[in-house]
Amino acid sequence: MGEKEESNEPQSLNPASNQEEGILDKLEKKAKKYLRGNKTNLKNLRDKKLKGQLEVREKIYGNAAKVAARAEEWLKPSEEGLLEPENPLERTYRIQQSSILPEVDVLSVSKAFDMKLPDLGPYTIRYLSNGRYMLLGGQKGHLAMIDVLKMDCIKEFQVKERVRDVVFLQNDQLFAVAQKKFTYVYNRHGTEIHCLKENQHPLKLEYLEKHFLLVGTNNFSQLHYQDISTGQVVANYRTGLGPTSVMCSNPYNSIISLGHSGGKLTMWKPTSGKPLITMLCHHGPITAVAYHPSGNLVATAGMDKKVKIWDLRKFESIHSIPGHAQTLDFSQKGLLALANGSRVQVWRDKGDQDFGLYMTHSIPKGYQVGTVKFRPYEDVLGLGHSMGFSSILIPGSGEPNFDSWVANPYETSKQRSKKEVRALLDKLPPESIMLDPGSIGMVRERQRKEKLTKREIEQQMVEAVVEVKSNVEIKNKTKGRNKPSKRAKRKQEEVFNAKKPFLEKQRETKEGPPQKKRRVLLEVAEDLPKSLQRFAKKKPM
Amino acid sequence: MADSTEKNRKKQKRTKTKAVESTFLSKTSKYEKKGRTKMKGKRKGRDNDQRKRRGGGPRLPNVLRQELGLDAKRNSSSESDSEGGEDVRDFYELDEEVAQEESGKNRRFDEVENYQYELPDNFEDEEVPSDEGEDDSDKSEGEDQRDKEDGERHLRMLQDITGIPKEAFDGEKKKREEVLLSQADVRSEIVTIHDLLAPLQGMPGYSSLRKRVLQQEKQPMTLQAPLPKSERDKVQRKVSDKFARKEITKWEGVVKRNREAPTLFFEQDQNLGYSTVGAIASGFEPRTEFEKQMAQLRQDPELVEAYKNDGAKMLELNKVSVKDVIDRQNRLAKMRSLLFRHEMKAKRIKKIKSKTYHKIKKKERQKAASAELEMNPEAAKQQAIKQEQKRAEERLTLKHKNSSKWAKRILKRGLDVQDDATRAAIAEQLQKHEELKRKMNSMNNNESSTDEESSDDDDEEEDESKRALKALNKAKEKTAKVLEEGDEAPKKGLFALPFMERGLKKRQEEAYEEARQALEDYDATLNQLQDEGEEGEEETQQNSSAVKMTGKRTFGPAKKPVAQEYNKRQRLDDFGKDSDSEEEDGEFDEPVPQIIEDKNDKTEGVQLGTALLDEEQVMAQHAIFRNLDDMEKAVGPKTSYEVAIFAGDSFRKVRSDSGHSNKATTSSVIHTSKPSHETKETDQSYETDSDTEMVEGFLTTNLITDQKPDYELPSQAELVRRVFAGDDVAAEFERDKLETLNEENPEPEKPALVPGWGQWTHVQKKKGLPDWMVREHEEKKRKRGEALKKRKDAKFDHVIISETINRKAEKLMATSLPFPFTSKEAYEGNMRMPIGPDFNPASALSALNRPEIIKKPGLIIQPIEYEEVDPDETHDQPKRIIQGAKPKQSSKEKSKKGKLSNKLVPKTLGKKVKST
Repeated sequence: MGEKEESNEPQSLNPASNQEEGILDKLEKKAKKYLRGNKTNLKNLRDKKLKGQLEVREKIYGNAAKVAARAEEWLKPSEEGLLEPENPLERTYRIQQSSILPEVDVLSVSKAFDMKLPDLGPYTIRYLSNGRYMLLGGQKGHLAMIDVLKMDCIKEFQVKERVRDVVFLQNDQLFAVAQKKFTYVYNRHGTEIHCLKENQHPLKLEYLEKHFLLVGTNNFSQLHYQDISTGQVVANYRTGLGPTSVMCSNPYNSIISLGHSGGKLTMWKPTSGKPLITMLCHHGPITAVAYHPSGNLVATAGMDKKVKIWDLRKFESIHSIPGHAQTLDFSQKGLLALANGSRVQVWRDKGDQDFGLYMTHSIPKGYQVGTVKFRPYEDVLGLGHSMGFSSILIPGSGEPNFDSWVANPYETSKQRSKKEVRALLDKLPPESIMLDPGSIGMVRERQRKEKLTKREIEQQMVEAVVEVKSNVEIKNKTKGRNKPSKRAKRKQEEVFNAKKPFLEKQRETKEGPPQKKRRVLLEVAEDLPKSLQRFAKKKPM
Repeated sequence: MADSTEKNRKKQKRTKTKAVESTFLSKTSKYEKKGRTKMKGKRKGRDNDQRKRRGGGPRLPNVLRQELGLDAKRNSSSESDSEGGEDVRDFYELDEEVAQEESGKNRRFDEVENYQYELPDNFEDEEVPSDEGEDDSDKSEGEDQRDKEDGERHLRMLQDITGIPKEAFDGEKKKREEVLLSQADVRSEIVTIHDLLAPLQGMPGYSSLRKRVLQQEKQPMTLQAPLPKSERDKVQRKVSDKFARKEITKWEGVVKRNREAPTLFFEQDQNLGYSTVGAIASGFEPRTEFEKQMAQLRQDPELVEAYKNDGAKMLELNKVSVKDVIDRQNRLAKMRSLLFRHEMKAKRIKKIKSKTYHKIKKKERQKAASAELEMNPEAAKQQAIKQEQKRAEERLTLKHKNSSKWAKRILKRGLDVQDDATRAAIAEQLQKHEELKRKMNSMNNNESSTDEESSDDDDEEEDESKRALKALNKAKEKTAKVLEEGDEAPKKGLFALPFMERGLKKRQEEAYEEARQALEDYDATLNQLQDEGEEGEEETQQNSSAVKMTGKRTFGPAKKPVAQEYNKRQRLDDFGKDSDSEEEDGEFDEPVPQIIEDKNDKTEGVQLGTALLDEEQVMAQHAIFRNLDDMEKAVGPKTSYEVAIFAGDSFRKVRSDSGHSNKATTSSVIHTSKPSHETKETDQSYETDSDTEMVEGFLTTNLITDQKPDYELPSQAELVRRVFAGDDVAAEFERDKLETLNEENPEPEKPALVPGWGQWTHVQKKKGLPDWMVREHEEKKRKRGEALKKRKDAKFDHVIISETINRKAEKLMATSLPFPFTSKEAYEGNMRMPIGPDFNPASALSALNRPEIIKKPGLIIQPIEYEEVDPDETHDQPKRIIQGAKPKQSSKEKSKKGKLSNKLVPKTLGKKVKST
């Protein structure tokens, strides 16, 4: 799968014991990765039962991690290949496709091809998540679905309407097309299944696989979420920042990012009408956005002749590439492709987020690249341009080992349908889209303003009373005053004192709305006659 | 004779003396002592100890003593125990001292007798008893003597009466004595060890036992007083607790292991009984009488055979007896007669003419019918159809709507004058009308439309004379609608071009004029009609108290002059029909809200605020008003204009109404929120064409528009700003950020003057704001500052991170730590690992998400059994079978292990106890 252009030389042979140790070390390292964080510190736990249970649990986790590490050893045999310079003076970006093609295997050679489709105008492309199928959408209404594995055109048809974007839904059975007026859903035979009239004049589409949500922006600067399993419109928000066709979803948390003309990048989720994060990325309209598969990096291109790579953990631009880019895409292995006019560049992280130019490619002059998309699980970059489509080889771009649980390029129809059912069962609700999905199931931090519930107050009160009861020390008093009844009374008093603040709190919660706010005269009203000042209203902002 | 009998008696008693002496103890009475004193010297061969024991005894009455036969004993004893004379003396000495001190009677005895104690050991007094007996009888008439005599006498009497020799009765007496003695035995409290030892003398272990007893006596032990009960219990509890703890701690290992085990398995192979119905049926055995009979019938060989061979033979078996036939006939006859009687009864009932009876009957029938309705959907449908018909009829005829002659007459006279019954009747009629008119179980629910309903309402309120009015109103409405539509129509395609638009507008205006003319005409005719209809209406209004009661529509207080009412009424009608003719005349400026208030049955007082509010409401409700409003204003200078501007990458068409005061619009262009068709069109054209072309096109159109003063170009500065929108992005972003900050952490309101006290005299202004207000404000400001600092985006200039709480996502998180956890770290650490199949290899998966308890359905969980567990055992083995601790017998190895464990481990608690 992954071709190794100039792979590392095999390491010098070591003594067997050393090798074994190395293997063990490797396993341990991998196991640590699968342990997902450090073991919890159980020393501070007082509850012995819980401690025992957690210890057992931790052991099970450890075993699972080890098994996973071992499985990785066997199930992920291939590594991605890369172009590596033989001497320090050699530059990988000087290597042309023409020099790569003779070196690679026949199967890979067949993956590099061009399709000339001059009539029906600039093409957008989209791959299915398992990399097997490709959609071609010509702006003037040409739609085609191609099995890129078998190089077989599955369906080709004309909608005779402007096509702005195409996207696969869930699998190759259905795909959505943003046409002139509405979004249409077709099946793989080209039959129109649905016309989604809710989102009129769509500009760009995006599909969230785990949530079954079709996201679209439209000409009215709206962001539209529609559940394709139920047909419900989950959300429809006005961005208030102008219509945009720059949209990308974060593969980690399914948050949708929009690039706007004001140089802003906004991030949205379906349950909030305001952007979660607004970033000022460029001093000019944003032309393209792409997310790194880890979800931590985002690349933006602006009209200010810059392409920036941002780290979303720090909200900092970690790298800035000069030049325009009409389109951007990150590959599964983190290569960044950007295209401007007829030139395509691929940048690669050389380690420590140090991006360097990795490959370049240029299609014939005058062709305008509209979309670049890496093909998943293959070292192929697809270019949709004004004269059709071409695909080039970019070594080291695709994930060499596919996980059939996630995506299987060779899946049978039975597997596909099974997977579909499973996906439906595992469908996530739109609320689960959030900036940090890891926080699901964790303890929610209490908001500042949130009031304690009655029950919680009661619980606190009981705790306080218990503490007082156990700690209260009643002094011995003189003869007449030390009767048991009096002592009991004193004790009771103490308990009541401890209860008092909580009781007051409870009363407050019972009272409901606080006292009416005192109406305060406004300065605006001052120019009115005194008698009328009280009628002055505060204008809603 | 007396002597002989006495002797006899003594002889008989002698045999018993020993026992008497040993058992009958010290607490003898004075009488006894007296007797003893008499017998002194004659008692011998007694142990010292024994004698000492014979201290004082209870003072018994004579009769009792007689019964006890003490005297006889004494005598016999003196006779028998002649050997130990010396010892006896000692005893008597002691006894006598006491006796002498206590009673003066003893003094009567001469001292010589006292000396008899000092008789030598070997003194023989074998002959004495007889003498003494004589002595006794001779010397004194002591009680003893008397007793004896009594006994004698009694015996003699018995002898005389029965004729049986004396001996027989003597024996009886003896027996009685024995019984009494044994009773005394029980009563006596102190039994010494010696008493118990005495009978053992001569037995094999006697000497050693005696030695031990003596030893013990030499060094007397003082027994401590027993502890109080509570203490004793405490000690006992302590001990038992120790044992119990030992027992329980033994279980600790097992319990701990079970508690900490991630999964408990209860899945031993067990026979769970029948699995199928067939299996259950096969095991059936008839038990009750009925079951047995049935079984017998089923298995009757004759029947079975008949069934097997041929159905015909069954007929033969199916014989009917004569008796059965007769029975059947009788039964049928009975039924027939019953039927006949029922018929007769029905006939009679049919003839009944009593109203109450039928009323009751009807009610019953209705009840039954309603019950059936609920059950039967078909009947319900029929009923619904019927209801619908009735409703239609009612709506047509208005039979119950006070339209009858009777009702009219009564209403004319006035309801207040009527008696209660009439009023009730009218109310009932109205109610019936309502009932009939109401839509119930309608066949087609969707047929109703607001139009119809409104017309219905009108029907209620107005007479037929007003139908014409309505028709006019409808016409008016339609024209208004047409006007409205005309406003929107030409916004597509070619017509979108500005000059075309202008032309269209002109034409529209003409059309409007025409339409308005028509409307005016309508109104005029309407007014006329209303004037005519007013009189009749007034009448109804006067009598409309009934209507009032129903809360339909009130026309203000009755005191108000008719003229005013008329005015309002008119307006109201106009208002209801969305007419606008009044507005032109300037009448429709103020009273509108007032009327609405009336309509809404509110208070009559007009308040400015509410009026304003109402006006707003009205405006909102009747959008048509506004449209017409605009239209009117359009007569003057043109106020709406459209500008197309190139901004960023799209055209924006802007329409602003200068006529609207609340929309404070400046010459600058506002971004409309509602995208019109036009924008879309232009947008598309832009996409297909190149940028420059578009700009040119735009400019040319503007050149044309320049001729008109309504359209104005955006200023050059504006254009530049739009073209170079990106230049000022940072500032814009800053502004945005400030806005969001203000929204999420709003700035506290500036303290302002308090309404109320001192306001009129400027006191507040002079003194300034009160301290507390200023302080509050400061505090709020400070808090806001803190909140702003705490924000996640506080450090970044180029980032806004929204901090609004997402209510919907809250349900996906825990509000508090789940039960067993006490620390957040532990909980989250436990949660960090994904346990789904997507993240784990299949071999590790089952261990990760195995349930806590695995149990076969139907399996009975046995109580836990004891098992020795190593406390430091690790939980490596994932599978642990709890049930019975018996492994499956499938493999030999396992069974061996099981046996071993069985041997090693004591199975039950009882066994363990036994072994210890």
